[in-house]
Amino acid sequence: MTSADPIFEVKDVTLRFGGVTSLNNVSLNQERGEILSVIGPNGAGKTSLFNCLTGVYLPQEGSITFHPTQTKAIKIVGRAPHRVAQAGVARTFQTSRMFNALTTFENVKIGVEAHQKTGPIGAMLKLPRTRHEEKFSDQRSHELLEYVNLTHRTNTLASSLPYGDRRRLEIARALGTDPKVLLLDEPAAGTNPSEKLALAELISRINTELGISILLIEHDMKLVMSLAQRLIVLNFGGVIAEGTPQEIQENPLVIEAYLGASDEATQ
Amino acid sequence: MSTESTVPKRRYWALNGEDARRMCTAIVGGLVLAIMTGPEGAISDPTYGVKTSLLTGHVVGYFIFGVVLGCLLTYRAKVKDGTWRRVRTARRRTMSERVTAFSSIWRYAFLAVTTFLVALISLIFADFSGPVTRNKMSVHVLEHQFLYTRTYGYLVLAVALWFVVVNQVMQLSSFKLRSLPRPVLGLSAIIAILLFSLTSDPFLPARFSWRALDPHASNSLFHHWTTYLWLILGLAVTISWLFRRDPIDGAKPARRSRALAVTPEMRIITYVAAGFIVFEAPKYLSLYWQISLYQQIGVFCLLAIGLNIVVGFAGLLDLGYVAFYALGAYVTAYFSGALPLHPPFQLNPFFIIPFAIIIAMLSGVLLGLPTLRLRGDYLAIVTLGFGEIVYVLANDWTQVTYGSAGTGAITNFNVHLLGINYVWNPVNPLSYYYLMIGILIPAIFLFDFLNHSKVGRTWAAIREDEVAAQSLGINALKYKVMAFAMGASTAGVAGVFTAVKVGHLFPNTFVLQLSITILVLVIFGGMGSIVGVLFGAIVLQWLPSYLNFHSYFGYQQADLYLYIGALLVVMMIFRPQGLVPSRRRRREILDAEEGLGSADALGAITQEQPS
Repeated sequence: MTSADPIFEVKDVTLRFGGVTSLNNVSLNQERGEILSVIGPNGAGKTSLFNCLTGVYLPQEGSITFHPTQTKAIKIVGRAPHRVAQAGVARTFQTSRMFNALTTFENVKIGVEAHQKTGPIGAMLKLPRTRHEEKFSDQRSHELLEYVNLTHRTNTLASSLPYGDRRRLEIARALGTDPKVLLLDEPAAGTNPSEKLALAELISRINTELGISILLIEHDMKLVMSLAQRLIVLNFGGVIAEGTPQEIQENPLVIEAYLGASDEATQ
Repeated sequence: MSTESTVPKRRYWALNGEDARRMCTAIVGGLVLAIMTGPEGAISDPTYGVKTSLLTGHVVGYFIFGVVLGCLLTYRAKVKDGTWRRVRTARRRTMSERVTAFSSIWRYAFLAVTTFLVALISLIFADFSGPVTRNKMSVHVLEHQFLYTRTYGYLVLAVALWFVVVNQVMQLSSFKLRSLPRPVLGLSAIIAILLFSLTSDPFLPARFSWRALDPHASNSLFHHWTTYLWLILGLAVTISWLFRRDPIDGAKPARRSRALAVTPEMRIITYVAAGFIVFEAPKYLSLYWQISLYQQIGVFCLLAIGLNIVVGFAGLLDLGYVAFYALGAYVTAYFSGALPLHPPFQLNPFFIIPFAIIIAMLSGVLLGLPTLRLRGDYLAIVTLGFGEIVYVLANDWTQVTYGSAGTGAITNFNVHLLGINYVWNPVNPLSYYYLMIGILIPAIFLFDFLNHSKVGRTWAAIREDEVAAQSLGINALKYKVMAFAMGASTAGVAGVFTAVKVGHLFPNTFVLQLSITILVLVIFGGMGSIVGVLFGAIVLQWLPSYLNFHSYFGYQQADLYLYIGALLVVMMIFRPQGLVPSRRRRREILDAEEGLGSADALGAITQEQPS
């Protein structure tokens, strides 16, 4: 499948851990501004794919190209994770990774500040640029907390936040880095139905209002089907299906992967 | 674990084998300490007889120590598994809450009594530090003190400070100093500063009479530049305080304080009191303590706040910190021409400081770039090795360092500028002390700013979760190297100060034990908290100096590290976050106890690695 304006181009990516092949010849494209969802049973390689896309894992074969703008192309394989993030790829984690001893506000502020230029000298002497940047990051962090509806938790410690709030805080922190694409790894895991609704609303708001492309791993099919414009199904490290929610729901391969087929399941 | 914890009736003395084992371990541990530290020959020598050697105060003291430790451990364990209730369940009431709970008459009585005590203390202090040595320490001469102006200085200062404190703490009235008319405040500030200035020079007894206020008198106050210094300083503080704008309500989130609300008045009092202790008190110390204050306490404060950046802020365990200290010292020796290698130009120690900073920083970067990719434990081993390498080089590379014979004489600090000629002289250790203060105070403020800036927050983020930090675009390696380099350069400066004061360098000053000592100062005081680290350095460096003259329970200087080790063990059990912990660090340790986060006591980072 060719696309006019992709943001991610993944070609034939293979990732092995010793003898275990985690990703096998995975190819996919994500359009700019699209909500693309990656689904699949446990151990299918979804999180491994995310880790390859963010530079945490180094795939043995294949190439991953990230297009922050239409004209720019960045090779992600071999790039350090922080440089991938600087290019405009933000992510959240499957088990939420907050800076627990810091407050909600500080968590977001670290995200905003990560791309500022202030160095140790400026910080020690409180030079004009540092003051300016500090003011900006304060303001921006407040805005972001308001955007994800966490204003009432501004001074709460991240470790004492309820589960749903942690997810939203992680999203706010990722948004602080001003990303072009946001990778969400099971954002709805462990949240209750009303939190799930709010989360779906937030994700589609980020997509439409901020124009950020979203790559979503999620197990909750209702959430995925309502949000995603396109789905990719992984099983045993390979892409088994790709298409709109409607197509995927009717795809026999997918049903087989999830429910098991009569002869293969008994192996 | 007993399953009876669901039974409502608690069995308070349900001690079991586990408790007995714990108790025995503590007691035996105490006795082992006693045997190891005992006065030579008393215990290990069988000719003394068991009875006499075991019944020394030393052994009994350690036995009691073991029993107390065992009891505390048992208490802690029992409270944790729910067998015993915590003795104090309610939050401890703060001082201010207790006092404001008094009825109004008692509050005034409290004020009167404490004011009297404060006045008395200030009188005794004035007497103790006064120019007349004849009748020191005799209560009968306290009244004579009123002949001297310095007494009034102390009295006014102490009572005024106390009134402000009490007003804050007890909320006797809504009176605020700033609500007085500004001219009144300004005038009283000038008078107070003049009075204070009168007290500030112990070496000029003639100034302690009222004549010193007469501008025409020969020994007038106004003939001394220290007066003007105090005046300028005091006026600057007063003016900035008077014309400070009130913060707009709600502009900053209200700070939740545990004990007292930190008001500007309280802050000023703290600064004044700290300034008094730092600048004034050393003048009244004996020569021994004046030397200790620089050599033992000042230098180690600088080293400790430097290591605090590495260990406390960035969470990296550096066991070879002394190497950078040694580098700073040997760079000083080099530029003083005290080494076999002759420098291209000899320098005044003041100009060596930037060189020491740059060289220590570069070596920190060079060591850090390859090693900081390692995880906590490996980093500790590599830095340990680096410390040893530098020591061995200093000791054995005689062509460069003169080896264990020690270096030649190192130039003293001196100033020859614009007609001022001053050479620092070991006879007057205070001159070094004030120089050290001149470096230490800016360093404290700069590092504090740093900790509360983007850089400090980034360090905290890396310490807590390096993977998450990287996912935000933070270059973890860069920030770790930065911390390493800043710590190293601070040690380099400390090295210059030591080298200049000592005059000759010997490699055996820079042994591993010193690295450990500095680390202990940091851990004891509270990692990540500048105040805590300074506190740790002052207490732990003061104690050995004190014990040199006061031998309790058969204390010998050689045993020092044994005691420090024991102290550290006790600290790690009961207060792993240090005496004055930073808020962030305390939370991290609490989280770690609950199994949250990846920060252990030293912040070793667990990171997932692709294979």
